[in-house]
Amino acid sequence: MVLLVVPAVGAVTAALVRHDLAGRIAGTVAAAVAFLATLPLPIGRGTRVDTGPALVPWHQVDVAWVPSLDLRFHLGVDGISYPLVVLTALLTLLCCGYTLWRVPDPGRGRLLVALLLIIEVGILGVFLALDLILFFVFFELVLLPMYAVIAGWGGPGRRRAARMFVLYTLLGSVLLLVGLVTVVGAAGTADLVQLTGTRLGTGTQYAAFVLLAIGFAVKSPLWPLHTWLPDAHTEAPTVGSVILAGVLLKMGTYGLLRVAVGVAPDAAQGAAPVLGGFAAAAIIVGGLVCLAQNEVKRLIAYSSVGHMGFVLLGIATLQPVGFQAALVGNVAHGLITGLLFFLAGAVKDRAHTGELAKLGGLRETAPGLSGLLGFAAVASLGLPGLAGFWGEAFAIVAALRTGGAYWNVLGVVAAFGAALAAAYLLRLLRRTTHGPASPAVLALDGPRLSAAELVAWAPLVLLIVALGLLPALVLGPGAAAVDALHGVVGR
Amino acid sequence: MSLSPYIPIVGLFALGAGFALFSVAIAPFVGPRRYNRAKLDAYECGIEPTPQPIGGGRFPVKFYLTAMLFIVFDIEIIFLYPWAVSFEALGVFGFVEMVLFIITVFVAYAYVWRRGGLDWD
Amino acid sequence: MTTDIAAETLKLPSLDYAALAPMLILFGVGCVGVLVEAIAPKKARFPVQLVLAVLGIAASLTAIVLAAGTEKVTAAGAVAVDGPGLFLQGSIAVLGLVALLLISERSLERGGAFVAQAAVTANSEADRDQATRGSGATEVYPLIIFSLGGMMLFAAANDLLTMFVALEVFSLPLYLLCAMARRRRLLSQEAALKYFLLGAFASAFFLFGIALVYGYAGRVDFAGIHAAVLDSPNDIALLYIGLAMVAIGLLFKAALAPFHVWTPDVYQGAPTPVTALMAACTKVAAFGGLLRVLYVAFERSQWDYRPVLGAIAVLTMLVGAVLAVTQTDIKRLLAYSSIANAGYVLVGVLAISKAGLASSLFYLVAYGFSVLAAFGIVTLVRDADGEATHLSRWAGLGRRSPLYATLFTFLLLAFAGIPLTSGFTAKFGVFAAAIEADQTWLVIAGVITSAIIAFPYLRVVVMMWLSEPGESTPAVSLPGALTAAAVTIGAAATLLLGIVPQPLLDMTENAAHFVR
Repeated sequence: MVLLVVPAVGAVTAALVRHDLAGRIAGTVAAAVAFLATLPLPIGRGTRVDTGPALVPWHQVDVAWVPSLDLRFHLGVDGISYPLVVLTALLTLLCCGYTLWRVPDPGRGRLLVALLLIIEVGILGVFLALDLILFFVFFELVLLPMYAVIAGWGGPGRRRAARMFVLYTLLGSVLLLVGLVTVVGAAGTADLVQLTGTRLGTGTQYAAFVLLAIGFAVKSPLWPLHTWLPDAHTEAPTVGSVILAGVLLKMGTYGLLRVAVGVAPDAAQGAAPVLGGFAAAAIIVGGLVCLAQNEVKRLIAYSSVGHMGFVLLGIATLQPVGFQAALVGNVAHGLITGLLFFLAGAVKDRAHTGELAKLGGLRETAPGLSGLLGFAAVASLGLPGLAGFWGEAFAIVAALRTGGAYWNVLGVVAAFGAALAAAYLLRLLRRTTHGPASPAVLALDGPRLSAAELVAWAPLVLLIVALGLLPALVLGPGAAAVDALHGVVGR
Repeated sequence: MSLSPYIPIVGLFALGAGFALFSVAIAPFVGPRRYNRAKLDAYECGIEPTPQPIGGGRFPVKFYLTAMLFIVFDIEIIFLYPWAVSFEALGVFGFVEMVLFIITVFVAYAYVWRRGGLDWD
Repeated sequence: MTTDIAAETLKLPSLDYAALAPMLILFGVGCVGVLVEAIAPKKARFPVQLVLAVLGIAASLTAIVLAAGTEKVTAAGAVAVDGPGLFLQGSIAVLGLVALLLISERSLERGGAFVAQAAVTANSEADRDQATRGSGATEVYPLIIFSLGGMMLFAAANDLLTMFVALEVFSLPLYLLCAMARRRRLLSQEAALKYFLLGAFASAFFLFGIALVYGYAGRVDFAGIHAAVLDSPNDIALLYIGLAMVAIGLLFKAALAPFHVWTPDVYQGAPTPVTALMAACTKVAAFGGLLRVLYVAFERSQWDYRPVLGAIAVLTMLVGAVLAVTQTDIKRLLAYSSIANAGYVLVGVLAISKAGLASSLFYLVAYGFSVLAAFGIVTLVRDADGEATHLSRWAGLGRRSPLYATLFTFLLLAFAGIPLTSGFTAKFGVFAAAIEADQTWLVIAGVITSAIIAFPYLRVVVMMWLSEPGESTPAVSLPGALTAAAVTIGAAATLLLGIVPQPLLDMTENAAHFVR
């Protein structure tokens, strides 16, 4: 598939080109080509036949890779993965474009671009893979470049952050691999198309689901396995944070939806209340912790924990509405948090501090920046009409619709969490944009927004509004696939 | 399997060991004791003994080398004997094998010789 | 009288020279090498020996390729030429050739990595003099050739006695080679002495084991033992104790816990190219022997030894992974990593199936190439006093020489089993085979230890890339053509076997049938 080859070639070119700027441009062009290549994917998708298998990719590539180990190079895209594929390509493009304008210390921008493109290859691979082992290969591929990005271009505490990141995700990968091998061993095939809808034995399903769920929960990250996330975000360079929050976390939720639920539906049903409980706890904990944060990036990072809680809650309900919520929530969170991290990075670069106490009165000196920050924060707290609303609303609706006292309580708790989100985001706004201008803010380097920043952020802003007004942009292509998946769960 | 054929052997073994032990044990008691300087010195093949530090000194590595080289030829002889005894039976095949074996030993010999392993100084 | 009896009973063994050719060529070349040492003038020895050794191994490899597909037992049942045997011999030849490139490098240090006269007292005036000036001993070439020949015979031996002889033939030269490092002579001699003493101990166990197995089965050839297992009227305890002792000898050579204690010291003290040779080729040979003993001779007592060896595999992986975490010397770290890797191969071996055999063979080759390249890079990181192996000296290497740091990072990732490297394919293969054979507990232990051992590797990576280069960070020497070739081959094989492993997998699968 062109999608994977282009960024890979771009990465190699960017790394090899001697001239730094030329390398960055080459990388950005590759990212742009990859993004354009994602757009025509829905063309030619077949109409769904009800009697067919539960997972029908629109397009697929299926080549034997290592036949003797039963590894296949099987890629395909369908309604669940397509929005995420586009999101990945878009955010990578924006990040590459952003590095054209600004390279974080210690320079060597072409390497950074190359790593970003490798990460893109990995993430796209995860979303496209229809073979479990291939899925794992791509899942691992993402880990190391991301580690290098944090460790190479991060802030002062980058070593610890990078180590935490690797520790956690390696542990997750190990569990994931054991889970995947269990499934493959039990089913005799690693092909997702065949696996989705085959019923494995109950014991195998439970074993596999628990292993897979923990593996994905580390990546998502689900409370209480989230402690790597704030450090990683705080220390990572801006583009790293954007990719990390925007798409990397989605690998966890996507995997949970596609692999864990798809392959072990019975176990998913059994484990759903537990998963839902954790998700609701994540929403509340994320919100409460956010209220106590004093650093912009850390706050946004913890807000991710809460938002991913909503996505997981949606998945845990095992309702079509819940799956839809997860899809929309994923995409919306990618867009909004991506924008938030861009803005936080911009603020930090200008004010040289991310402490809420030292910021304040941004509105006075940099009205454009603070306006955008306000917009992103409001989108993040789920204002109706913007993208963030749908994911949270659907998740709560799904929880209530599942019925029973337990799920009702979870729905209410989640709704309360949404209110908490409003509280901490408004607090963020009050501390940064309002009030008298602090010394750091007065000494802002270049308060005006540069053209490059505007170009990088405009698509995000537009998409947030568009998705807020027309959630069908994501729901439309995903509907058929979601129904099929729900059919597998059979509830 | 009857063990009877071995009984005389065991008896002989016991007899031999007993004689050796007896000889060593009885000597201090019945032998005359006349010490002189030569008796207290280390015996070194009749050569004037070289003074050595307490706790035993170091031998030049050359002694070991010579001992090692001796083993090479020693073992060669051991293989040659049975071949010589059954030369007829082994025939041409045995002859070729033996030549090959001697050649490999001579390769080692040539190496030692050319690289000065046989020179004492 | 006696001669008459001999004349009647002696039957000439039939020798299939084509099948034996790979080993015969190497032993012949070894003898010629010794003669060259005796006759050729000092200056001419190095080029002559190098060309001779390369040609010899190449000829041997050709003979192996020509013999491909042969399946027979020859030389009166002493040697079995079959798929696994030829595959192992081929691997030994190829890996040995690459190791030979490292061994022959003379541009990094005047006179190469070997000392001129190993017998000179360490740290004496003469020793310091020869460390800086003397041209390295060329005796290493015949020694290596003999050693490789012994390894090939070991992998093809079809009775326990031949196996013992082969064991000694490949071990003795290695003991000597260990003692010949140009720098840090005392460490090198200590390594050789340790290796020799412990190796002799293991050989004694092996020999005693042979005697006991013979006592049980009345035969030493594998087919005979196979027939006798379960059928012999003798006390079964003889068989168990004998097998255990034979196994101890083999486990020692393969560096499996708890018989691994020599490995770090020897790997650290030996000249790095020799360490590379040991880590790559000796491992192949040792596992070749282990595979044949377990699969051919004792297949029918697998229910007895499997749990014991399984426990050893788990212990090995744990010991290798956990102790690697605390290492501060890169060669020791790689030594512990090789111990852990031996544990993974044993997981594949214990599947006792065709898939297990094939995946073990693949693992050995994949690991061999990676470890050769890794030690090749270790030889490059040096300063005026020789190689800088302490980990703190590697800090900031990524800044000084990004190319080698990148290569080394890649190789470490391969050891860690990250996808798209040969390490992943190999580990996946052995784990899949073990699961198929219902040895899931081994796989779980394997996966957990893989996660543990990733940390020491990452620590090195962090050290190289994230630390500022200190005063003591040495520059990486420009490699000579030979080292460059060896490192390139090793790294390229690691990458290729990670992306397109199919051709080699096909080979291992076609080869995976022992003749009995």
